[in-house]
Amino acid sequence: MAITLKELLDSGAERLSLELVWGEGRLDRPIEEKAINRPGLALTGFFQYFAQRRLQVFGLAEFTYLKSLSTADREARLRGILEKNVPAIVISRNRNPLPELRALAEEYGTPLLRSTMITSHFINECTLVLEELTAPRDRIQGTMLELMGIGVLLQGQAGIGKSETALSLIGRGYSLVADDVTEVVRTNEGRVVAFAHELTRYHMEIRGVGIVHVPSLFGVAAIRREAMLDIVINLHPYTNDAEEDRTGIEPGSIEVLGIKFPFYSLPVSSGRDMANIVEATALNYKLKMLGHDAAKELDEKLIGRFLRKTAG
Amino acid sequence: MAEEKIILREFKVLNKYGIHARPAALLVKTAGKFTCDIFIGRKGAEVSAKSIMGLLTIEGHHGSVMHVRIVGDDAEEALAEITELFENKFFEE
Repeated sequence: MAITLKELLDSGAERLSLELVWGEGRLDRPIEEKAINRPGLALTGFFQYFAQRRLQVFGLAEFTYLKSLSTADREARLRGILEKNVPAIVISRNRNPLPELRALAEEYGTPLLRSTMITSHFINECTLVLEELTAPRDRIQGTMLELMGIGVLLQGQAGIGKSETALSLIGRGYSLVADDVTEVVRTNEGRVVAFAHELTRYHMEIRGVGIVHVPSLFGVAAIRREAMLDIVINLHPYTNDAEEDRTGIEPGSIEVLGIKFPFYSLPVSSGRDMANIVEATALNYKLKMLGHDAAKELDEKLIGRFLRKTAG
Repeated sequence: MAEEKIILREFKVLNKYGIHARPAALLVKTAGKFTCDIFIGRKGAEVSAKSIMGLLTIEGHHGSVMHVRIVGDDAEEALAEITELFENKFFEE
């Protein structure tokens, strides 16, 4: 999936200390490859292999080399690169573009950008920004909370009480990330980050009350901008024959952006304090992560005892 | 008033590990489908088959004999399914 130069500038200008030198009207150009190229070899006239779909970064080495050339050569080599219709040229170390480069950029309609960062830092950081912008993402139904460092996505049919449960948990000091609609992005490390759409961020809807602004009611401690997803909890209406996990030894799983997460389905019925149960589920998961699986340990204790009795 | 249906049976625990968590969960799930009351245990110490924590206390190790008492309208159907669980070693070794 290609992103445009505008998207890169919108989300990365500050992080990359990046400014546009020329090319206001050309920002809709796609960056088709998310890697970054230093066009050293191309400047020497070698074009048998040239990564022309990538951003081209001119650093100190490129500048020093260009300055060693005659004006005519310099113009010709630069033209060779711009002819390839590269997505954009970035000058690092906050240097001024050479007059030839500026003129050619305008001639070919290639945006020219400048960063104050040194080249290697810019390349590292820009690669990260491009990775984030092109990472697999989705928008899923569910309320995202953070409980003691555990990222919990609360799902369930409309009206089952996701927001109300979230509200109770917020009242107990936990944090809201997103209400009802959660944006998720997969990171390079194979984890999933969840956050709210910026328009509705930190708001939630409580039936009968309407839309509320969570930090205004509960303070800034009640919200988090984003959280890593750890478990998915589904709320379902109580029935006698639902396939619930009665021991917790073999929890189910669910895939989000191709990654498996533990999935717990909790039955809702009158008198069950769902916030309390969601809290216990998250705590029990945390305990398991610390290497203490209560259900399994009790089961092993039972089996050990039964086997001794059978033998005796 | 019609007499309430009561069924009494005895089952031997056949699987190697006895009624540990997984078989207990199977029993609870099966018992939960019926409206009748189902009790399992040793003589004089029985628990509801709809309670997982109860089932873990009856110490149903391999070779032990469990009394099953079923009370209610759908007792026959419940007995059939519970028999299946015991006879098939709760679907484990």
